[in-house]
Parts: sequence; structure tokens; C-alpha cells
Amino acid sequence: MEAAVATHEHGADHAHADAHTHEHVHHTSFIRHYIFSTDHKTIAKQFFGSALFFLLVGGAFALLIRWQLAYPGEPIPVIGKWLPDSLVSNGAIQPGFYTQLVTMHATIMIFFVIIPIAAGSFANFCIPLMIGTDDMAMPYVNMISFWLVPVAALTVLAGFFVDGGTAGGGWTNYPPLSATGTGHTLWVVAIFMVGFSSILGGMNYVATVLNKRAKGMRMFDLPLTVWALFITAVLQVLGTPVLAADASLLFLDQVFHSSIFLPENLLISTGNLHSGGGQPILWQHLFWFYSHPAVYIMIVPIMGVVSDVLATFSRKPIYGYKAMVFALMAIAFLGFIVWGHHMFISGMSPLLGTTFMLSTIVIAVPSSIKVFNWLGTVWRGNIYFTTPMLNALGFIGTFTIGGISGIFMAVGPIDVYITDTYFIVAHIHYVLFGGSLFGIFAGIYYWYPKMFGKMYNETLGKWHFVLTFITFNLCFFPMHMLGVGGHMRRIHDPYIYDFLKPFQPMNEFITIFAILLGFSQLLLIANILWCLKYGKVAPRNPWKANTLEWAAPAHPGHGNFDRDIIVYRGPYEYSSPESKKDYLPQWIKPATKTSEKEHEAIAHEG
Amino acid sequence: MFDFSWNMLSYFPSSVSTYSDAHDSLFTIVYYLGVGIFLLVNSILLYFVWHYRHKPGATSYHYHGNNIVEFTWTLLPTILFAGLGLYSDEMWKVMKYPSRVPTPDVEIDVVGQTYAWSARYPGSDGILGNRGAKYRSNTNLFGIDPSDPHGKDDIVLTGEFNLPINKNVVVHLSSVDVLHSYFLPNFRIKQDAVPGAWIDVWFNGTKAGKYELACAELCGGGHYGMRGVVNMQSESDFNKWIDAKNAVRKQVLAAEAAQPKAPEPAPAATTAEDAGHTEHH
Ligand code: HEM
Ligand SMILES: [Cu+2]
Ligand SMILES: [Cu+2]
Repeated sequence: MEAAVATHEHGADHAHADAHTHEHVHHTSFIRHYIFSTDHKTIAKQFFGSALFFLLVGGAFALLIRWQLAYPGEPIPVIGKWLPDSLVSNGAIQPGFYTQLVTMHATIMIFFVIIPIAAGSFANFCIPLMIGTDDMAMPYVNMISFWLVPVAALTVLAGFFVDGGTAGGGWTNYPPLSATGTGHTLWVVAIFMVGFSSILGGMNYVATVLNKRAKGMRMFDLPLTVWALFITAVLQVLGTPVLAADASLLFLDQVFHSSIFLPENLLISTGNLHSGGGQPILWQHLFWFYSHPAVYIMIVPIMGVVSDVLATFSRKPIYGYKAMVFALMAIAFLGFIVWGHHMFISGMSPLLGTTFMLSTIVIAVPSSIKVFNWLGTVWRGNIYFTTPMLNALGFIGTFTIGGISGIFMAVGPIDVYITDTYFIVAHIHYVLFGGSLFGIFAGIYYWYPKMFGKMYNETLGKWHFVLTFITFNLCFFPMHMLGVGGHMRRIHDPYIYDFLKPFQPMNEFITIFAILLGFSQLLLIANILWCLKYGKVAPRNPWKANTLEWAAPAHPGHGNFDRDIIVYRGPYEYSSPESKKDYLPQWIKPATKTSEKEHEAIAHEG
Repeated sequence: MFDFSWNMLSYFPSSVSTYSDAHDSLFTIVYYLGVGIFLLVNSILLYFVWHYRHKPGATSYHYHGNNIVEFTWTLLPTILFAGLGLYSDEMWKVMKYPSRVPTPDVEIDVVGQTYAWSARYPGSDGILGNRGAKYRSNTNLFGIDPSDPHGKDDIVLTGEFNLPINKNVVVHLSSVDVLHSYFLPNFRIKQDAVPGAWIDVWFNGTKAGKYELACAELCGGGHYGMRGVVNMQSESDFNKWIDAKNAVRKQVLAAEAAQPKAPEPAPAATTAEDAGHTEHH
């Protein structure tokens, strides 16, 4: 199968046409190994590396935004004088550039950081290893799924160099504003590409989980990380085509003047705009039909990761494993019928508002179930405060705040007031930074030994967590207050409003902690890079965990496992009376005298 | 360093309408509910994490959970949250359902245009003239039908608008270009202005004063500067103000009528698909 696909690919590729006959040269070539690799672990590292890079880019944009809100009109330190006059005047951010920064920050963080790490890197790394198989069901599709991401990122960033600048309509890109300008067209094309990356990835994960589980592994033997990634994959496959359709329709309006989103006789002078007969709100329905499930694409995998980390370091089974699985399914299902809560002020029928308000409030139930079960998991545990565990615990605390602010916004009349204010910005960051990103940190530290064969530095890791946790909360919590005060989001200079003038000191405070938060992330980067080279060599199962990835060699090569894997039990048999140790891995044969010895050896092998 | 209060409720701008008072009470309920959930979850978490931290020789409890517990903590939040939803629905209806918009005492049109708000008052006949998108142009933002006599005396203002307190004010809202959002922080009201649609917003002011009107939907580089002012006046002050405006408008009309064939503002370019439908008021 693999060979057949390879032939096919290279048949079309002239540069490689002659290498084709030397199959063996091929498999060791640098390009196949590190660039156009089909190995799921390499692809996971590629997603990881590109996401970390874009995390820094997106973070830099955020600091520019924060600078402007704290010190409007003052030149940007250091880089201000290097930027062209189309973006800055006397080194200070211009209004148009500000809206582009807001748009690019969110676009990058959502489409090029969180989704690629959660549904790209973790999915690729964890699924095959945790279900005990050699690779994804469709390795070539997998490779394409990665390569679409950097191409899309370059496309959207190329917008900075076109006439009129890059997209500046917000990451939600509502027409008619987004119906003109080359930057918006590039945005739409890029989103179409990442959308396809997501669809291809999702198909692959579904196929892999359904077909390639190790012998003896039932669906209810899957670790919650795999369940979560599987359910996410279903969301990706069902939701993303709608985004692709929406992007295509907007592309038609932009390029072929089809007027799908444009009503009659708009007074818009820029661009060659034809308008008549269209509906701007249609864009929002299609966009949020995808983008609400998309927020779950960004959090559901992380809920799985956090569950596994909590169980491992509490040395305790997950409380209510099946309830956790059903709650994930409920979140995924309900996720498709709540999109209208982003549109309470859009002008859609108020009757729909009532429906969406009730469905949204109901979606807080499965989220609460998850939080309660996490509490149940640490209850009567034997808790080790490793860096992944600290991040997982931090996740629960901050995610709870994000869930609670969600309830405010689910209540229609309240949302009408706080929508499009900093309250939303606070919510987004409590769920996506406080939630997803802390969970991502937990996962990065947790699997670092398996991914790179080295141990990270625990002290540095703990400093990273502590500094991030403190600066994160000091940066984002006051944004709730700004929102209640009516402070709009996406505004270049709040202080032209009298009622916002008193908020300048608070904005300054937020900016100081945003800068500290940004620089704290250098500890993560340093830890990752330094330990690649100087870290201690990792043992096979450093956390004494139960799931199958820890049965693989410390730094698994192509094919992953060096022995046959058979699954005998669920993933959370910690502190089981069946075993003298406080863990009982999935691959250990139920005790008979000889097998116990043999498998203990595997479990504890260095 | 600056005035900081942990009480989020203290940050609201002053409340100046019947609706904003009701909104703030609902917000207060949700706020205390939220604070309660937050304290509950996080104090339990901190207690567990501290109490069950690893100690030499400690073991954990091998336990997979309990269905009755799961059922209970599914049911309780469902009841709590569904109750909250049903309770708040009434307020949603009051504000949004067209059937619940009160009979207007004062009725105006408002449109957003990058980057300013404009309003149209009915003029001395008390009736807003017919409008249609096909008549819209930069000199006729509201698309007033030139053939409708009720439209002749309508008054169009940009930036600052006077309105009476203790009256039901109904605003018919739209946009002439991109999306904007009509945001009155002191009234706790926000509604997108959507080109191609007229959406009703209503309020009943309780306190006289000048309040800021903001645009809350990103509409381009100048979005941040799309500021307006709503000047809420007592009924008598408002009547004086509107009478003066009407008098000025009458003079302008009289002057135009005196001139031989005053040039009509040219209707916006019409194309085949534009022609045909007029929006009736
Ligand atoms: C208890 C669960 C949650 C509820 C009830 C909830 C509710 C809401 C509501 C009603 C909005 C619309 C606010 C507005 O624009 O006016 C919203 C916005 C948002 N939510 Fe949540 N949410 C929840 C959890 C999450 C999670 C888990 C994530 C992501 C990981 C998330 C990410 C977002 C984002 C990104 C937006 C803002 C989109 C934008 O306008 O830019 N939410 N949420
Ligand atoms: Cu949503
Ligand atoms: Cu605006």
C-alpha cells in the first residue's frame, strides 16, 4: 500500500523521478526523513515546531496591540522606527495597522497554533502510540495535512505586502467589510487551506482509531486522550467543510462579484464592488456553525490530555471514565446546535435567540461534569507535583473561570451588553490560554521524553508554570472588569470615549503583565531546545504510566514498537490491588508466575 | 496604583433606562452564581491537592467512580442552568421580540456609515417618509423616497441626537455600507446595524444627560472613532429643541421652493437588480 502510493506520488514529481528506482536510498534520504516524512512522529514534531514558531509570532502581535492600548500614539519601542509608513506614523501604530494586528493575532493563534498543536501534533503523536500501532491509517494524507499549514500561513502573512495590507476585519471576517481588498482574499484562501488540512487530519484519525487498535483493545480501553482526539476528529470532519463553503462563497463575492453576502446599493467606494440581493448575516451563520465546534476542536483534545496527566500523577483511576466519554460526546453534539450564541446582536430572528440561549446554557452541563470528575480523580489520590501535573491543575482552575464567564454570555440579555467588549476577550483567553494552552503545556512536558528521548528540566519547567500562571491571571482577569465597564474590543484608541478614559491605568497594568507573560514563554522554548541536547536520557516509562505509548522504546523509531502489543485492561489501573506496584500497564499479561516477571521487566526497563 | 475593586459590579457605567436597571439585576444574579461556583470548585480543588499530596508511604484509593454521584452532579447543574435560561428568557423577549416593542412615543431612523452615526427625525408632520435602498446615495443616506411628501420635512442629523426621557423611544436601525453596532453603554443596549435590514431597538430613558454612543462592530480602520452622543432631555427641553429644528427645516424648504426647480439630489445609480423593490415604512 505504502509503496504503491509512493510510486504514484513520484510519478508526478519530476525532480524525484530518477530516485524512484532506488527505493532504499529514498527511505534514508534527508528529505523523506525530515521534510516530506510520512512518519506520524515526525509529522507531529513538524506541527509542533511550526506551532511554537507561530506562537512567538502571534505573541509578538499581541504585545504590539497591548502597547497601543496602554500608550496610544506613542512610538513602539525598538522596532517602531523600522516599520514602514503605511503601518506606523512616527513609529506609532496606525488605526488600519491596529485592526490588521488584531486580525492576524487571532487568526494565527487559532488556526496556526492551537488547532495545529491540539489536533495536529498531539493527535499525530498520541493516537498511533496510544493505540499500539505503527503509524496512521493514511500516512501520505497525513503528510499533506501538515504541509498545507505553512503554505496557508505564508499566504495569509503575504497580505502584509499587498496593496491595502493584510486582512483587517477580525478573525471572524464579517462581510461586507471583508468583501473588498486583496488581503481579505488571501485570508479566505488561507483559511480554505487550513480547513482542508483539518479535514484530512480528521479523516485519518477517525480511520486510525477505528481500524488500527492493538489486539485486545476495545473502544472503552482507549485512554481519554484518544477518545478526545477521536471525537475532535469527528468535529473536524463534520464542521470544517462548512467553513470551506463559507470561505468559497466569500471568495466568489470578492473575485467574481457574486453578491452572496452583499445587499442592494451599498455605499462602499473601495474596490470594484457589485452589490444587491445578498445577506451579510448568512456569513455569520455559516462561520459560527463551524467556529463554535472549532472552539471545541481547540479544547476537547486538551481535556483528554489533562485527564491522562491527572490520573498518572494522582496515581488513581479516572473518576467516572465512561461519564467522561459521554460528556465529551455530549459537548461535541451540542456544539453543533449552539452557534447562534455568537449572534445575539446580529439581527437574526429573536425566536432563534431563545433557542440558542437554552441550548448554550445546557452545554455548560457536560463541561461541569468534566470538572467534577477531575475533582473526583484527585480526591484521595497520591499527588506528585511534576510540571505536567501543575499545568493540568492550573488548567482546571482557569478553565473553570472561562466556563463561568461562558454562562454570563449564554444569557442573551447579558450577552447583548458584554458582547464585543473585553469581557469576551477575557473569556476567550481563559478558555484558550488558561484552558487549551495550559493543557498543551501539560502535554508537551508529559510526552517530551517520548517525543525526543530526553527528559526536560523540572526546575525550569516549574518556573515556567509559576510565572505563566501568575502573569496570565494578572494580565487577563482585569479584562472582565474592562468588559463590564463597556470597553469595546478591537478599538485602536479607547480614550476618545469619556467613559473609557478612567481605564487607561488598568490597560497599562494589563500590558505590563502581558509583556512579562510573553517573556515567560522563553523558559519553555529554552527548556525544549536545551534539553534536546543536554537533557538526561529518558527511560522507557518515566512516569510509571499505564498507557501503551510507554511500552514503546524511549525514543521510538519508524514502526514504533519493538514487541507485540496485546491489551489486557483499561488505561487507568493505578494503585490496583492486582499489582504490588501502584500501576498496572495495559500491556501486562494478567499475573501468572512467569509472565509477571517478564512483563515487569518491560514496564520498568530504562 | 489605580482604583481597583474586586467587585465586578462596581465597574458598570451609570444605569439610565428602565431596561438597564433590569439588566443589572439579572447580571447581579448571574454574577453571584458565578462567584459561588468559582469558590466552590476552586476551594475543593485546592483542598484536595494539598490534602492528598504525595507523602512517603502514601497510597491512593483504587476507585472508578459511582453512577449515583454522576447522575446527581449531572442533574443539579442541568436544573440550575436550565432554570437560569428560562428565567432570563423573559428579559430577552422584552427587549428583542418585535411583538414586545412598545408603541413608540418617539420614532427615529438611525444609520451607521463609516465612521459616523446619523439619525432621521420625522419632521413637523410627525411622519417618517418612505425609504428604499435604491434611493440611497451619499447625499441621501436614508434613501428617502423623493416622491413621498412625508419625507420632505424629515430632519437628518449626524453625531449628536436629542431624545426625551420617560418616553418609549424606538430606533429603526440600519447601515449603508458595512456592519456597525449601535452600542449605548449606559442603556446596556447593543444591536448590529446591518445593511439591507431595518432592525428595531427601543429604550425608555430615566435620567437626563449626555451619553456616549459607540460602534461595537469592527468596521474598518476608523472604527474606534465612530463615536456619537445621545442627549437625553426632559420632555419640555426636547420639544423646544425639536421645534427649533423643524422651524429651520421649514425655512430651508421654503427657500428651495422659491428657487425655480431646485436640483434634486440625484438618486444613486440604479442597475437592473437594484430596481424594483421599495421598502415600505
Ligand atoms: C461553559 C462553556 C462555554 C460557554 C457557555 C460559552 C459561551 C460562549 C458564548 C455565549 C460566546 C459568545 C460571546 C459573544 O461573542 O458575545 C462565546 C464566545 C467564545 N467562546 Fe465560549 N463558551 C464556553 C466555553 C468555551 C470554550 C471551551 C472555548 C474554547 C476553548 C470557548 C471559546 C470561545 C471563543 C474563542 C469565543 C469568542 C469568539 C469571538 O467572538 O471572537 N468557549 N462563548
Ligand atoms: Cu461558541
Ligand atoms: Cu465600527
